[in-house]
Amino acid sequence: MNINATLLAQAVVMIVFVAICWRYIYPPILSVMQEREKRISDGLEAAKKADDSLEEAKLAFDKELNQAKAEAADILEKANTRASQIVSDASLKAEAEAEKIMVSASTSIENETNKAKEELRQQMSDIIIDTTQKILGDEISKEKHEDILKKAAEEL
Amino acid sequence: MAKELTTESYIEHHLTNLTCGKTPEGWTCDPYKVEQMGFWAFHVDSLFWSIFLGGLFILFFKIAMPKKINTVSAPTGAQNFIEMSIEFVEDNVQSLFGSVKNTLIAPLALTVFVWILLMNLMDLVPVDFLPVLAGHIAYAVAGEGVEWIKNPESFYFKVVPTTDPNITLGMAFAVFVLTIYYSITVKGLRAFIAELTLHPFGKWLIPVNFVLEMVNFIAKPISLGLRLFGNLYAGEMIFILIALMLFFSSIPIGILGFGLHLVWALFHILIVALQAFIFMALTIAYLAMAHETEEH
Repeated sequence: MNINATLLAQAVVMIVFVAICWRYIYPPILSVMQEREKRISDGLEAAKKADDSLEEAKLAFDKELNQAKAEAADILEKANTRASQIVSDASLKAEAEAEKIMVSASTSIENETNKAKEELRQQMSDIIIDTTQKILGDEISKEKHEDILKKAAEEL
Repeated sequence: MAKELTTESYIEHHLTNLTCGKTPEGWTCDPYKVEQMGFWAFHVDSLFWSIFLGGLFILFFKIAMPKKINTVSAPTGAQNFIEMSIEFVEDNVQSLFGSVKNTLIAPLALTVFVWILLMNLMDLVPVDFLPVLAGHIAYAVAGEGVEWIKNPESFYFKVVPTTDPNITLGMAFAVFVLTIYYSITVKGLRAFIAELTLHPFGKWLIPVNFVLEMVNFIAKPISLGLRLFGNLYAGEMIFILIALMLFFSSIPIGILGFGLHLVWALFHILIVALQAFIFMALTIAYLAMAHETEEH
């Protein structure tokens, strides 16, 4: 157990090993570890960003959806109003038309009736005159008894 | 067996390193000529395991870690283990070093921690297993021709490098050199000398200051090395004593020794990790002190 040159040899060996570790072993391991650490923190940050943007997109989506719903409701209401208006317009118009047709029909019926009445009166007076002439002979002429005929016609 | 196996020789065998050095007759690993080698002798076993385990550390950390970042799936298995150790070291460096930026400190701490942990873990391999294996290999390779390998059992081979004070003090010495280097480059030579001479009594007692500060300065690496050595040496010693219970006494004591061995091994895992951590933490702390520029 003497102290001898082993001590110096071991000191040299140690310096050599430390130098190898310092130069070739430690830096690559450390750089791998640091790179991975960076990757992980980057990944976490990206995940957080993605989460945020997802939240944002959800909010925007909800907003758009609500807007679209409101618009649709609006359109529907307008359409309903318009449809009911059209229906009421049409029914009014139809009623007016019907009225008009009725009025014109009744007028024309009256006219026809009057015309027929006049014609009948005329024919009646002619028949009466004719018959009377035949009975009385030529004592009664159409011209002489114009007034009487007219009276009779009016009484009919 | 050439020598009678006694408890004394058993313990001595386990505490002696395979030492190779230069004698007047040339290079040899003969354990009987260690005295003649003087300072320029090497503990081949300690250095072998130290370099082997250091290489294992480098290789494992190089191979298990993918060169490019895996973007598809989470890291698995060995890579997780490596990243865990790196984070552990980074945390410690961060807490002791604070804002000072020095890219050498963390790799140094990592190397020291993992390497010492591996060396300490060799303590958990049964005490006779590797020495006897190494003895047989040496006997098979060198054979009868070499005079000092008389038989496989008497071949000295110490497995745990951190139970060799040369290894622990060698590492402490390397840390000490780094401390001086950074003290001078970061603070400047003037400030460094001033720190050693102008405390704690001011400029009129420079010699006293210098002696006091020098003791303080030198004590750091020595205590750093001896703390690790002492803890592991004591642990190894207890393993050897427990092993003696198994081989040199009656069956009941042998069974007790078996239980004790298990208990001590479990407890020793704690010491193994703790001492590696302490060595690393103190290495960081000493280098942090070398970077502190303000007066204290």
